[in-house]
Amino acid sequence: MLLEILGLDAAYGDVPALSGVALSVEPGEIVALLGPNGAGKTTLLKAIAGLLRPRAGTVLWEGEDLGRVPSHLIVERGLALVPEGRRLFGSMTVEENLTLGAFAPRARNAQGANLERVYALFPILRERRRQIVRLLSGGQQQMVSVGRALMSSPRLLMLDEPSLGLAPLMVQAILDVLVEINRGGVAVFLVEQNVRAALTLAHRAYILETGRIVGEGGGAELLQDPHVRRAYLGPLAAPEYFVL
Amino acid sequence: MHAERRWAAVILLAFAGLALVPLAAPRDDTLNLLFLILLSVTLAQSWNIIAGYAGQVNLGHAAFFGLGALVTRTLWIGGTPVLVAMAAGAGAAVAFALAIGAAAFRLRGAYFAIGTLALGEILRITTGNVLAEISTLPAAAIAGYRLTLRYYLALVLAALAVAVVAALATSRLGLGITALREDEDAAEASGVNALRLKLTALVTSTTLAGLAGGLFAYYHISYYPQHPFSPHWTFDALLVTYIGGVGTLHGPVLGAVFYVFLKEYLATRWVDLHLLIFGALFIGGGLLLPGGLVEAGGRLRRLLRSTLRR
Amino acid sequence: MIILSQQLVLGFMIGGLYGLAAVGLSLIFGVLKVLNVAHGELIMLGGYGAYWLFALLGFDPFASLLLVVPLSLLLGLGLYCALFGFVVRTDEETRIKNSLLIGFGLALALHALAVKLWTADERGITTSYAGSVLIVGHLAIPLVRLASLAVAFALIAALHLLLTRWRWGRAIRATADDWQAALLTGIDVRRAYLLAFALGTGLAGAAGTLVSVGYSISPSIGLEWTLKALIVVVLAGLGSMFGTFVGGLFLGLAEAASAAVFGGPYREVVGLVIIFAVLVARPQGLFGAR
Repeated sequence: MLLEILGLDAAYGDVPALSGVALSVEPGEIVALLGPNGAGKTTLLKAIAGLLRPRAGTVLWEGEDLGRVPSHLIVERGLALVPEGRRLFGSMTVEENLTLGAFAPRARNAQGANLERVYALFPILRERRRQIVRLLSGGQQQMVSVGRALMSSPRLLMLDEPSLGLAPLMVQAILDVLVEINRGGVAVFLVEQNVRAALTLAHRAYILETGRIVGEGGGAELLQDPHVRRAYLGPLAAPEYFVL
Repeated sequence: MHAERRWAAVILLAFAGLALVPLAAPRDDTLNLLFLILLSVTLAQSWNIIAGYAGQVNLGHAAFFGLGALVTRTLWIGGTPVLVAMAAGAGAAVAFALAIGAAAFRLRGAYFAIGTLALGEILRITTGNVLAEISTLPAAAIAGYRLTLRYYLALVLAALAVAVVAALATSRLGLGITALREDEDAAEASGVNALRLKLTALVTSTTLAGLAGGLFAYYHISYYPQHPFSPHWTFDALLVTYIGGVGTLHGPVLGAVFYVFLKEYLATRWVDLHLLIFGALFIGGGLLLPGGLVEAGGRLRRLLRSTLRR
Repeated sequence: MIILSQQLVLGFMIGGLYGLAAVGLSLIFGVLKVLNVAHGELIMLGGYGAYWLFALLGFDPFASLLLVVPLSLLLGLGLYCALFGFVVRTDEETRIKNSLLIGFGLALALHALAVKLWTADERGITTSYAGSVLIVGHLAIPLVRLASLAVAFALIAALHLLLTRWRWGRAIRATADDWQAALLTGIDVRRAYLLAFALGTGLAGAAGTLVSVGYSISPSIGLEWTLKALIVVVLAGLGSMFGTFVGGLFLGLAEAASAAVFGGPYREVVGLVIIFAVLVARPQGLFGAR
């Protein structure tokens, strides 16, 4: 097992956010985490990535307790997070953002090769590499964010709502990239609002509601699940069916 | 909320006790020390309104203190009854605040702090240039100088400051101001009129500071007109409030007592190094007790409670 | 007219030092989000360092930069580890408050220490070449001050290179932009803070050295220089080192112009008024982002 989470509890002050969360990701898998807004999906990712200290439970990475690892060393272990809202270094260029992704010692040697690979995945970034990222479009920023995470040669790539605010064409492009990365051996843990797309992509998925895991199954299997269909794939959950 | 009311009662009771001091022990040095504490309480509470409750660090607070002093002194020496002069002083401070308030409140955080500091300095330097000579009371006024009178005025003003802050904190107005501090957009969305609240906080804070300035002008026999504009007054108010505990009612009071006593003690015992020790104490305080004496008190109470439980 | 242009030249040159002082403060403020109100006192210490190296060992002040700057870097390291390192563990609102308390305490303590050790007397470094002047038309340009301006600019250019070419320099900029994202990319944010604070203090030491040779120093210059630096930081906004330097030059020129037009005592006022006006029109500063 690559990533194993056991009995995770997290809270913001007195407000509980996660209760007894348990899940796992095997090497080479694509696992999706679905759930409504406010379910705690971002909280879970933050807890794994070391931005948030959980109240209880363990996050095991290749058997090691990540709770004991300082936040900035987690990417060194091989997990990279593409945070919600991109969180780029706004005053710096595309290339500077990307090369910072290879800051960790493990990734430094592969910096040149990784950069080429990222530019191959996202050709437009090569064109724009000297541009200040603040001036890029949402979709291009998302590419930089994903690219930055890839620069660290991760074994597990975690993404928090990568499709948020992006045009459908752009969303498809990002998801295609994820499939390609995965084919190269990188496991993917995807938190995604676009349930249909996520389930089509994922080998397995978990459903998080109000801080608890309420469902789990194969991607295709969950696509047919009645609860999932009603809660997340019905007319209200599928924006493409909305006529405004 | 109720904690504030309780504290207000306690403090005002203590002030009532202080009213008896000139009758029991009419020593000049005692009265002067208490006067200094009471002036500090007033100035600190006025600063506390903007900083503690509204969450903005105003580094130009001395401007209001100085304007109050300037106008009061000028009018009073010219023959106006002192209370009227003080009211006019407060009025001048408020007028100035309103004039620059709209501009200053566009700034946030550190920029607000520095912008207000710049304003304070502008007033100080201009006053220093225009009124470079020392301002001394005419001989008649010196002859008729009664310290006790000034002492009672300081007591009344400090009580007023505490009462006003208590009223503000426990009112809907106060809640609104705190809501603004936490999240302005959310507050506005809930129906809080940001501008009205900010103005209320500003006017209250400035009036108290202006009155404190007037008191200063009434108290001192001679001083340089630019002195009350000095940023040291702002820093004193800031330190007193932080030491005591910003955003609380009793914080500035505790802080004023502590600060003045400490300063006097150090100045007499460690003449050479008192500022050095003073500075070191602030560093220690900032590191260990960022919540000030109020936090220390809270911690002590919890410690006692847990030890007593066993 | 002659007086005005002469004043402007002098104002331009001290503006360079304002800029240098401000850049150090801006770096610390931009990265750590902490306002070090004792920055002026650190400048003062740098000045005394250079002064004593000159008075006791005969070191040329420009050469003593090679000693004063590393010593200031170390001082910054020490101050961060002992004091400001603890302040950055809290959220932004508490940070401002704590840093003000600690900063004031530090300023008070350093000021008192300086008075105790070296008396309150004003001092300056007078080298053999102190009086040399470059004559350009009807302008007399003191060479020492011109050299100081050049050194200030060189230091800022060096800083710029550090922040763009050095791996940790980029890490510092990244931390300033988004410290959480920096953690995610593997940057030890605490170390970035430490480096930024040390660099800022190093620049303060350098500024102090230049002040002691072209102008004068005393224990009380701390507050004055903190104010100048603060004003320039706010005027120029955060994010651009060269922008901050230009902001310093601007302040120097504004002060000189107002002194020439309104007379000496109003020198400071016009500068302050301009700063306030700029802030109101552009709350993020002249060169600031957002």
